[in-house]
Amino acid sequence: MNRFQVTRTGTYLTVQDWGRFHYQHLGVSPSGMMDHRIPQALTKVIPNHQNQFLEFAYVGPSLKVEQGAIKVSVGGQCNIFVQKHNNTQIEHAPYTSINLFEGDELTIHNTIDSVYGYIAFENGLGLEPCLQSFATDTKAQIGSINRPLQIGDQFEVSKDVSSWDLQSSEEVNISKQTNFKVYPGPQMNYFSDEVLQTFVSSPFTITTQSDRMGLRLEGEPLKSHISHDILSEGILPGCIQVPTNGQPIVLMRDIPCTGGYPKIAILARDDISKIAQLPPGTKITFDL
Amino acid sequence: MFFKRINHYGDVGLILDFGSDSSQQISQEVNAVYVLLQDIDLRQLNVIPSFNKIVLSFQSIKERNRAQDSIESILTKVNLTNSQKDRKLWNIPACYEDIYALDRELIQITHGLTKEEVILKHTGKSYYAYYIGFMPGFPYLGDIDSSLITPRLATPRIQIPARSVGIARKHTCIYPKISPSGWNIIGQVPFDIFSLEHSRTSLFLPGDTVQFQSITEKEFFQIQSKRLLFDEIIKEFSK
Repeated sequence: MNRFQVTRTGTYLTVQDWGRFHYQHLGVSPSGMMDHRIPQALTKVIPNHQNQFLEFAYVGPSLKVEQGAIKVSVGGQCNIFVQKHNNTQIEHAPYTSINLFEGDELTIHNTIDSVYGYIAFENGLGLEPCLQSFATDTKAQIGSINRPLQIGDQFEVSKDVSSWDLQSSEEVNISKQTNFKVYPGPQMNYFSDEVLQTFVSSPFTITTQSDRMGLRLEGEPLKSHISHDILSEGILPGCIQVPTNGQPIVLMRDIPCTGGYPKIAILARDDISKIAQLPPGTKITFDL
Repeated sequence: MFFKRINHYGDVGLILDFGSDSSQQISQEVNAVYVLLQDIDLRQLNVIPSFNKIVLSFQSIKERNRAQDSIESILTKVNLTNSQKDRKLWNIPACYEDIYALDRELIQITHGLTKEEVILKHTGKSYYAYYIGFMPGFPYLGDIDSSLITPRLATPRIQIPARSVGIARKHTCIYPKISPSGWNIIGQVPFDIFSLEHSRTSLFLPGDTVQFQSITEKEFFQIQSKRLLFDEIIKEFSK
């Protein structure tokens, strides 16, 4: 038995996978990892990841091996240290495999100029899926673990690591792209040409009121000449909805299943991972 | 046919548009198409019906385009009666007494009704389950008696108890969990309506019919204390 424990949570440490699908018609959010590119790269380092990853935002966790040994890899722009059981400290690069033995403690520092980081584990985390997915939706309290992780949470992986050889993959370039080409939303006609002109010509700032559910933007208000209240309809990650105050919200992974605000535009699927990594304060622009 | 058109919804989504109104007739067609979509392999990630739309999401643009062709070809086969099979008729106990009915008095005052009249009107009609959304297992039911139609609260509550029964505009609902809420709360049901342990997951499914039945506080506690499982609830309160 290989066992490790969370000794520091960092911020917003959750178990995630690629998303929970086929349940949104029952009100269950797709959830899943905010940035799909990083775990995709980690799968080359840790092929046997069992789709059970840890995601953190801004500040990474500390994990200490209590028994046995595990093999992990960390993805993201962050500094990674291992405090060995003999008290030496070793720095590791992201996107390389890290062997952790009994008594070793892995610590991941802040994400640099980005938001999310990921940890992949050889043989996974020993979890059972919930509604066919390991993803955590903390708002609806659904998941293999239905809340953010806490200090003292333990994971047991019964299978042993088969190879301790060093593996690595290319680093994911977390681009500083701040201009996003968007598709027209179903209620684009709720906004006059003048407002649409504002939407594509003026910058919007990502505010600190942003989380896994949505990025709240602040800028020139986008007022609808029809209504900011529509009959609720299905929404997807990437939808840009505009509530009554005219400040757009980019919906992310932990979305409610339906929404009652008009959607001015929709982000491209691959841009969701990119926009997720932009810290609050970043100014972004849209192109229709 | 209320179905109007299929539009792209971003690069990996589709939205089926059934018009701008909401009615039980439109919803029946939405649900008939929804049932039809279940029967074909579109390799979709999600299909989300609502009052007058169905949104589908896919893994890639290619799969989206492939599915769009298949959907267009099957839309001619929509059969309204077929979609009614497997739909359940529910008779759901609810307690409308003061401690569960945070806003019943407000509704009485707004519409000049007595407590008994509010209960009688709410239990006097069977409701159609338009769709499940907002939160896991949350049914949008309607339409309520026109004399009960009430706007959402001006200031939403930060928290209401799980299993609360609410009304807003022409709809009524049951909250599966503790939640912030702008609906007018008029009662509570004595069992859970969402379960990760049962394959059905959500007690109510789109197209189901729900009628409420008023129970006393004593009956409420009796049912609540049984901690009924989904199979028992289905057996006792549906047909």
